[in-house]
Amino acid sequence: MYDHFETPEPDEAVKLALRRIDEATARGEGSDLGGLEFNEVVVNMGPQHPSTHGVLRLVVTLDGELVKDVIPVIGYLHRCKEKLAERRTYFQYIPIVDRTEYLASINCEWAYVMAVEKLAGMQVTRRAEFIRVITGELMRIASHLVAVGTFTADLSPLGTAMVFYMFRDREIILDLMEELTGARMMFNYYRFGGVRYDLPDGWVERCRDFLKMFPKQIKEYEALVDTNAVFLQRTQGKGVITQQDVVDYGITGPNARASGIDLDLRRHRPYSVYPELDFDIITAQHGDIFDRYRCRMDEMRESLKIVEQCLDMLPNGPVQLGSLRAPYVITPPPGSVYVGQENPRGEYGTYIESDGSRYPYRLKFRDPCFCNLQLFPKLLSGNKIADAVAISGSIDLVLGGIDR
Amino acid sequence: MDILLGILRAILFVVVAYAVVFVAALVNILYERRFMAFIGDRLGPNRTGPQGALQSIADAFKMMGKEDFRPLLADPVLFTLAPVMVMIGAVSIQLVLPYTQGFLAIDLNIGVIFLVAITSFTTLSILMGGWASRNKYSLVGGLRAAAQMISYEIPMLLSLLIVAMIVGSMRVSDIVAFQAHYEWIGFYAPFTFLIFYISSIAELNRGPFDLPEGESELVAGYATEYSGMRFGMFYLNEYAGLTIMSMVIVTLFFGGWMGPWADAITWLGVSWIGLFWFLVKTYILVTALIWIRFSIPRLQVDQLMAFAWKILIPLGLVNILATAAIILWVPSWKWGLAVFSWVVFFAFVGLFDPILKWRLRKQRERQPVVSA
Repeated sequence: MYDHFETPEPDEAVKLALRRIDEATARGEGSDLGGLEFNEVVVNMGPQHPSTHGVLRLVVTLDGELVKDVIPVIGYLHRCKEKLAERRTYFQYIPIVDRTEYLASINCEWAYVMAVEKLAGMQVTRRAEFIRVITGELMRIASHLVAVGTFTADLSPLGTAMVFYMFRDREIILDLMEELTGARMMFNYYRFGGVRYDLPDGWVERCRDFLKMFPKQIKEYEALVDTNAVFLQRTQGKGVITQQDVVDYGITGPNARASGIDLDLRRHRPYSVYPELDFDIITAQHGDIFDRYRCRMDEMRESLKIVEQCLDMLPNGPVQLGSLRAPYVITPPPGSVYVGQENPRGEYGTYIESDGSRYPYRLKFRDPCFCNLQLFPKLLSGNKIADAVAISGSIDLVLGGIDR
Repeated sequence: MDILLGILRAILFVVVAYAVVFVAALVNILYERRFMAFIGDRLGPNRTGPQGALQSIADAFKMMGKEDFRPLLADPVLFTLAPVMVMIGAVSIQLVLPYTQGFLAIDLNIGVIFLVAITSFTTLSILMGGWASRNKYSLVGGLRAAAQMISYEIPMLLSLLIVAMIVGSMRVSDIVAFQAHYEWIGFYAPFTFLIFYISSIAELNRGPFDLPEGESELVAGYATEYSGMRFGMFYLNEYAGLTIMSMVIVTLFFGGWMGPWADAITWLGVSWIGLFWFLVKTYILVTALIWIRFSIPRLQVDQLMAFAWKILIPLGLVNILATAAIILWVPSWKWGLAVFSWVVFFAFVGLFDPILKWRLRKQRERQPVVSA
């Protein structure tokens, strides 16, 4: 009756985990059962595990409740995004960039468009720059809401309520974006030298309504979570990323800033109109789960500040170069360019190599989540499973960006 | 003739007990989903039937229609037996519970001990299911469940002993009779009730103690490999447990079926208003259980065990000694007990969180700042 069901052969990652156990046994680093049997088990977490957020697979070696070793396996969402660029014009590729890191797609678009503009030496209209900052910061808030919401949902059923509060607020942002761009997640909104549409009537007022409403919501979330002793106990002092780790592994974004590294490309490699804006870079000292959570919460406040300033300073003028629409076909001169952009998760870089034709010769993304994932084996080992889940939630991975 | 009547009576009560389990489970699933949705600012299931009333029934039929799948390496006997046995606790615990005046299956003279003994069956079948599945998640979930339930049975038993001491009898109907005229044991011994309530949440494997099936870590815990109606049995038992455990608490601490005009309408030898009060009290407690689940983050295994062994059990022991001393030596011991228990109750509730937070603050200050 069950002939069709056979125990599958362990794959490469599992074999590697088993080999590492054997090596550790050979070195005499067995578990402390007084030289009895080595009782570590290899467990697959993912790609369909509820707490790996997408299709990340972790091959975890467990000693009881303790995580001994972690081998991340990626590639379940690989869609050849970089190769696709080589058969598409620069313009045709914009909607595909949206689909790499889908939670902050407009920031990825921004990174790509900026790289092409730099390559082709194009200017961006001033109004479009402000609209880009506004949309980018709104999406940063939306992305952080998902990050914090799913992270709290990993911790408890309390989080399942939190996650809905946060998605409720994200919905307002998505509505604003839908009104502006016609799409809710895959915007296809930025153009070389500007943006596709100007702000619709009344959009600025609706955006201001959101800015007025949202700080109260943040306060409410903090009241729910920050004062909860169980939450504090489970997050403080766990999963510490040291500053050496940040440098060694190339961690960027809120994860690096939570470790006290004052690194924000909006300030330190400024682009767009960020030099004219007044905002703080949020850092924390301890580099643990709680600090990463706090950094995200405070960054949302800073983003609100930025959006408010942009709405105040918004100049009149065209949103695109030329009279009617952006150029469909551009042929940048041969050469290569790298542009880094401060994505909600860290430095999202675009590297383009041009051979002077209508297609990029090679395109490469530097995804922050990919670098953050490299830290997983070091960060999770030695923690309990429950902590490991909380830590991986606090790192905030998006597999669409890692696998591309 | 008497034997025939006895057999009929037995059949009646078994049918009622099963009916209560199934109906309570279906009602509680829907109730929790709607309540959770309310907490999460959503609507919840509201499409199947009026206000989604038929949602649970639709889900039950869906489960029955699913493939009955057993992994090749699973232990066939235990794997099949576990979901059947899991119901034993929830069903047979009702045999000593007086729903109302004249509606009690067996008036055991050791009812309280029966209550404790029979709840352990759930642990056993969860352990069986987790072990028989041959799945690492299931095994870890099953072992966690066993460790947790055994640990929390001790404070539960300690508080049950106090109830028996106050009443002077282990007969459940005596416990209810003692609480006539609103002399609820919950008023005399609120701290005992608190310990019992906390450990009963852990017994039920519910949040914040839902480690055995902590979905973010262990997928579905001991039930990972179960599908279809086998999983449905675990699920039904879990949700029926909400009502059953609340019924036990109501009987022990809140006067059972006693209430205003409890004896007003008697039909077939059963007082129906009493049944009404019994259900009302039960569902107040069920609501509290659901509310707690969605208000407190899940504890960790070590925190959970520490809470049982370092806090609840010592407090329970001290409580039992103090209560015994008061009953023995204080002349009007009921009032002495009430004063003592309320003071401890408020001290525990008022001080636990601030002390925990103060310790956390100290820890945070000592925590090293990351550096190169």
